[in-house]
Amino acid sequence: MKTKGSATERFLNKQFWLGFKAGVNLSSPLPQVRYSVLMPNNYDAARTNKTYQSFNKIGGQATLEVTFYYKGFSISAQPTYRTSRFTYFNEYTWTGGTAGQGLNLKFEQEQQLDYADLPLLVKYEFSQNKLRPFVQFGAYYSILVNATKGVTVSGTDNASGGINTFKNEPVVVGAKDLFTNNWGLIAGGGVNYNLGNVRLVFDVSYHLGMSNIADVKNRYANDRLSGIGDAQDDLKTNHLMFSVGCLFPLRFLSNDFKSLD
Amino acid sequence: MKKLITLLFFSLGMIILSSCANEADPEADKRFFTKFYDNSNFNIAYTPLDVAQTSDGGYLVLGLKTVIVPDGGDVEPPVIYIMKTDEFGNFISDLDVPEGLRMPAPALLKVDGKFYFFCQTVNNSQSIQLMEVSEAGTIAQQVDIGGTYPLAAGVDGSSLLLLNLDLEGRQTIMSKVSTSGDILNAKGFNIGAADGGPYAPESAALEHVQRTGPQLPFYVGKTTNNLYYFNGIYNYSLSTVFTDLIADNPIGVVQGSNNKGGLSALLSLNGGKFATSRFNYGDNYILPAAALSINSPTKSSELGGNPFPELSPNATVRIINIKIDETDRVIYGSNTRGKQIALFGYNPADGTLAGSRYIGFSNSFELASLTPTADNGLLVLGTTYIAGRFPRICLFKLSAEALGKSFQ
Repeated sequence: MKTKGSATERFLNKQFWLGFKAGVNLSSPLPQVRYSVLMPNNYDAARTNKTYQSFNKIGGQATLEVTFYYKGFSISAQPTYRTSRFTYFNEYTWTGGTAGQGLNLKFEQEQQLDYADLPLLVKYEFSQNKLRPFVQFGAYYSILVNATKGVTVSGTDNASGGINTFKNEPVVVGAKDLFTNNWGLIAGGGVNYNLGNVRLVFDVSYHLGMSNIADVKNRYANDRLSGIGDAQDDLKTNHLMFSVGCLFPLRFLSNDFKSLD
Repeated sequence: MKKLITLLFFSLGMIILSSCANEADPEADKRFFTKFYDNSNFNIAYTPLDVAQTSDGGYLVLGLKTVIVPDGGDVEPPVIYIMKTDEFGNFISDLDVPEGLRMPAPALLKVDGKFYFFCQTVNNSQSIQLMEVSEAGTIAQQVDIGGTYPLAAGVDGSSLLLLNLDLEGRQTIMSKVSTSGDILNAKGFNIGAADGGPYAPESAALEHVQRTGPQLPFYVGKTTNNLYYFNGIYNYSLSTVFTDLIADNPIGVVQGSNNKGGLSALLSLNGGKFATSRFNYGDNYILPAAALSINSPTKSSELGGNPFPELSPNATVRIINIKIDETDRVIYGSNTRGKQIALFGYNPADGTLAGSRYIGFSNSFELASLTPTADNGLLVLGTTYIAGRFPRICLFKLSAEALGKSFQ
């Protein structure tokens, strides 16, 4: 004969969760193959390499989470709309025959990429208490939605009769053609906190890019960018994502909608 | 539930596998690229003239290099500059042709897999030289062929065509030259009596070849009916002259207006038609399927055509024909007032516009030449002004796919 307690335990072994998360992310671009429009004939070609900056621009994401829980393990699908940002710059110097004559230009580019992410995760919860730490692993596929580049040119001109330091207003251009869909792996952790009939969740995940985010066929397709000397490198991107949210159970213990332990 | 999870994992696996195909694609990088060839010296200016593809898939660029002397001094014609790139457009090597050779005709000629250009000695005696360039971008051979001031050059089968100015004899001379430097045929045409005026066309031609004045649209070629033609100074104006290189007088002439009007480019099409363009006191007109009367004198100003106010005054125009997916297209290249390079594609059968494409943004760009490539792409050679001020060679390779999108 089944006891009430064992029936409850069996019930609590299995649950569906549906909820919403949102948060911020930081990105780290990793160039795989470098390209440049500028081809020097009297200085080192390495000077045309872009200098990438990591984890310096905050992006954001919003996630719909659907999780199936069974005995501490969960399978979770978390479709996400994500905006990621990172920056890089090039610096060039031209010098002349007259003493001190020269021009230094710095091209700073801010890249913004919008993706629809499709992550699939396996989670493991370490306890059955109200506060439940968990780890999660999985993979994601990112579908490119939009991309823009903002270019700011600054520099020092001491070839026009004096020293002139300037910084132009950024020019933002569409850059969707330069990028494509990509995929990666996810590792992370967090805590669930059961509050009444609702589960609050905080998680941190690291997205490790496994494929090139650049569209190799359109590297030079954007006249506006190639016109200022910019060619898209082959890139992988890693992301550090922080999210908070709340989840709602879809199975209930009794008519008073009690669903949690 | 198990089925749903299996389906989710299977779907994610499939899309991940499909995205793995986006790895580095060297073939795509060969088919489509943009390159600016930079020098960190503030006082060096480059002027590209022409480009040709080598058998290794790379490219040879013929150009000029000017060292700007900050404190002035004598103005000398620029040094001839040859640059070699690989098939990706990456810089490999360059060469400043020795000092005594200057004033190249702006054409790098490919005949039987070898590369040639004409230039002139400037030290002790003035004489036109035929230069052979190796695939690596070095001078392989130099032959003295005589004459002065090379203006334009072209290819006629396995021979070369040369247009030059003979100021002493007051002639514009068109020659057919073998690749070993022998003059196979030549005919001179009178540029008109000297009147000592300050705007004489021959003065403009001299300033053109010495690069001390505006560049004039000199060219040579051969019609599909095996008649030769050139655009040069004839009868005291910039004129397109049709000749068989036998008769003393031209077979036909399209007369310009001094050096202020005339044809700016010409390409012979099947059926006796021509793709051409003309300029007239700054205005530009395109005639993609013109029926020129080559057996009688005509005036360029009476040819009509589509006005192109977007082009820069007296714009440089280049015309080539290419096949895009087995479809014939005539491509016009020119410079816009907005400092872009404009490409217009026309159907040679009826002269209708098939499409257009504009190259360049932010920096200024000026067209030098259009050259088809072995993979049915198109090379657009030009000058860009890096940082808005440094004239540098730029090379755009447009893929066959990109041409199809723009001009089919």
